[in-house]
Amino acid sequence: MATVSFAGTTRYYAGNPVPAVDGLDLEVADGEFLVLVGPSGCGKSTTLRMLAGLEGVDGGTIHIGERDVTDLPPKERDIAMVFQNYALYPHMTVGENIGFHLKIAKMAKSERESRVREAAALLGLTDYLDRKPAKLSGGQRQRVAMGRAIVRSPQVFCMDEPLSNLDAKLRVQTRTQIASLQRRLGVTTIYVTHDQVEAMTMGDRVAVLKDGLLQQCDTPIGLFGKPANLFVAGFIGSPAMNLIVGTVSGESAEVDGSAIPLTPAQRAALTSEAVVVGVRPEGWEIKAPGDGIPATVEVVEELGSDQYLYCSTSTSRVSVDGGAPEPIAVRAPGMSPWQRGEKLGLVPVPGAVHLFDAATGARLPD
Amino acid sequence: MTSTVDERLGGPVRKPPRKPKPAPTARGFSPLRALGMAVVWLFTALNVLVLYWLVMAAFKSPIEIFTKPFALPSYWIERGQAFRNLAYAWNNAGFGRAFVITVVLVAVSSVAIVLLAAPAAYALTRLGVRGANGLTNFVAIGMGIPFQTVVIPLFIGMAELDLTNNLFGLFLIYVALSLPFTVFLLTGFFRSLPDELEEAAAIDGASPARTFFTIMLPLARGGLITALILNAIGLWNETLLSIVFLNENANFTLARALFAFNSAASYQSEYGGLVAGVAIVVLPMLVLYVLLARRIITGLTLGAGK
Amino acid sequence: MATVTAPAEGRTSSAGAHLSRKKRLFFPFFLPAVTLYVLFLLVPTVATVVLGFTSWSGAGDTPRFTGLDNYGELIASDAFRYSFLNTVLYIVAGGVGTFLLAFLFTMVLREMRGGKVVRAVLFFPNIVAPVALGMFFGIILVYRPNRQGLANYLLESVGIDAVKFLAPENITWVVTGCLIWASSGFYITILMAAVDRIPPYLYEDSDIAGATPWQKFRHVTLPLTWDVVGVAGVLWTISAIKIFELVFVLAGPGTYSPPIRSWTLGVYVFDRSFGDQGAPQYGMACAAAVVMILLVSVLVVLLRRLMRRDTIQY
Repeated sequence: MATVSFAGTTRYYAGNPVPAVDGLDLEVADGEFLVLVGPSGCGKSTTLRMLAGLEGVDGGTIHIGERDVTDLPPKERDIAMVFQNYALYPHMTVGENIGFHLKIAKMAKSERESRVREAAALLGLTDYLDRKPAKLSGGQRQRVAMGRAIVRSPQVFCMDEPLSNLDAKLRVQTRTQIASLQRRLGVTTIYVTHDQVEAMTMGDRVAVLKDGLLQQCDTPIGLFGKPANLFVAGFIGSPAMNLIVGTVSGESAEVDGSAIPLTPAQRAALTSEAVVVGVRPEGWEIKAPGDGIPATVEVVEELGSDQYLYCSTSTSRVSVDGGAPEPIAVRAPGMSPWQRGEKLGLVPVPGAVHLFDAATGARLPD
Repeated sequence: MTSTVDERLGGPVRKPPRKPKPAPTARGFSPLRALGMAVVWLFTALNVLVLYWLVMAAFKSPIEIFTKPFALPSYWIERGQAFRNLAYAWNNAGFGRAFVITVVLVAVSSVAIVLLAAPAAYALTRLGVRGANGLTNFVAIGMGIPFQTVVIPLFIGMAELDLTNNLFGLFLIYVALSLPFTVFLLTGFFRSLPDELEEAAAIDGASPARTFFTIMLPLARGGLITALILNAIGLWNETLLSIVFLNENANFTLARALFAFNSAASYQSEYGGLVAGVAIVVLPMLVLYVLLARRIITGLTLGAGK
Repeated sequence: MATVTAPAEGRTSSAGAHLSRKKRLFFPFFLPAVTLYVLFLLVPTVATVVLGFTSWSGAGDTPRFTGLDNYGELIASDAFRYSFLNTVLYIVAGGVGTFLLAFLFTMVLREMRGGKVVRAVLFFPNIVAPVALGMFFGIILVYRPNRQGLANYLLESVGIDAVKFLAPENITWVVTGCLIWASSGFYITILMAAVDRIPPYLYEDSDIAGATPWQKFRHVTLPLTWDVVGVAGVLWTISAIKIFELVFVLAGPGTYSPPIRSWTLGVYVFDRSFGDQGAPQYGMACAAAVVMILLVSVLVVLLRRLMRRDTIQY
């Protein structure tokens, strides 16, 4: 078992002056399950591939435990990788696939076979050892790929979107299987995904990347409760946090007639008069029209346990992905009697308000 | 939100490396890879060198060819006759006439081959006839028959018809013997075309023949051009049949003329003219290759990849 | 229900009519090509087989049925034995050489920058007339003290004694070398096209396993290109069996046949029918041509049998 640490790790691609991963500093504790998450092109896969040794490192270092592995070939890093497409060899049986790395490492046949059987038993693949991958279901293939990683008993698992080729139901099942397997084995794991739900449910900690830069690395609760900037605020949570532009007047921020108080520290941290007020769907109190921000219900989404109201307002909002601003999402108790077209007033629950500097995107101190 | 990318570009100037570092996997030393690299580069360099030699030698005197193989030509250039070798081959060795004959024969034959092969390939792939696969294999077997095994009866038969030593006779043979390869090649192209357009044409009431000429042929244009080029290359280089079926200088194709010139030139030490002759045969192919390398390579290897 | 099925039936019957109209096109489209094919390739092949059982010296002579005499004579003749053995040698040694080279190249070219240019350069000899290649090699390999060809010039310039490349005792190996040089580009291209279809993550996984280039070749490249290797082997066999111009030009004085030690079956057939030495022996030539067909058939069947594997499904 080992820690993993990135220090100033940087990666360029040919013909692009902007680094794909830019000065990444990240410490992963021994036995930790760390998820790298971000939109496509954010550098999360590149980070993983640098750790695995499939990609060169142009600046900074990578350590596994005490060892500097920056320039070591993959096999000397003692890592195992699960690929998005599983990378199963189509001409080998399941058993041969799982044992392939051991065979390359010249392990004796008897020991190899016993370890393959052990791994197969752990993953429920014992009956399929003689099949070719083409004859397996998606979930079984995924488990073979896991088996190939486990059988090496490496210091670090690298997983590159291992669930993205599964259907939605199987993905949820496998998610918990992988998480519990990792906790049982206690192997340090770096897991890449673009799916923030996967990130929040699986990771001990989650690192959010964008444009090659680390935005925030924290526990799921930390990320959700205290997003460090506008990007993280909008990226984590579903439906996404409502980000509303307000103006500073005196000691409070003004949003469509409602005032949100600012602490002196927050006031001092602001670089301009523009502030962004973030409220999650569950952070609203629904009042009668005339109280708080006036809003009209456009769509009612009934989930049974909860109800989401999507409301139009006259506020201007920030969209993290650059698209058209979405309506304000409000969570109401399930089976509430709200109808399309109804008017209401929205007031943020005290303590559920996140404040950001509109110019820099940074979170204002609490 | 402002783009962080812009911020970084506007900040302190950081120079990206000229070449990103390769993955550590590519850096480990392997004797096999080192050997492979050496052979690849040696081989490639040799090919380029040999081509350079050929082009240069076409302008050299025999003594230069053998004593200064890598030097630039000087002997004939100093005497103001830079193209003396080419002129010799062109005029004295009959390459000029052979060139014209070859160009016409190759062009006419290639077009005829494609005109015959395209409907056949279409018939075998898209008319929904039972047994078409068997018939395709039946035609494809023809690719495996060495010309030597048919040349004697062909010669006898053509002699009966007075078509030996006759360019029309050679044309017939070229067309017939090129059909198996061309039909096979084109079946691949026709098979890859989408069904929808054909169905749409049928719904619009176009007759099957009209569909073929106005819809399918234009769609398969890429394949037809590839077939045309590959046949032109093959026939340009064809030697055995031209040796057997042509025996008068007046009828010689380029490859045939080169074959005849070989012994004469060696006796007279006319190596300059000989190399020029080789160059006249090779360089048009080189030009074609430089222009169309990708099409030629994919066309010639298409059958094998599938 | 009825209203739903009626138009569907109508559509099938009109589609059926269209199909039968299409089928009527088959013969006008297919017959011209297949007629030429049968007349110029299949009928002559049968004629060759028949003539192989006769003795005939061409125009003015009538073929006489002699049974298997021609074959007996072939086996007894030195010229044929050399021709047969040389042809097999070219197919086997040239094939092994070409494919080893091609495999070596696939190992390197896959991860090499500029690989596409290298492939294009290597491919070029394939579109040069063999007769031009032969002459060209003839000039390069010529042995003549003081006025050496390029090859001996290079050898002498690094202090090695010149070699009589074109002497009868060396010519088979020289031709084999030239053959490998000229054809490897084609097979490299075919194999590389197959290698390019192998998903890159399989190589990445073997990198993580720590596989050497040889192990990657052995465990990934070879098994996943096996079917293409088989097809390429067949192509090699049917092209190598025809070798004629290269030998004829390289080994001989040019217009008439080279020394029999260098012959191939192709040269044998040509010499006995259209060569300039005495009366043609069409019967013998046809018998030798039949041997060519038999040899190529046996080798192709053998190759297919040897290369048979389960097809790979991704």
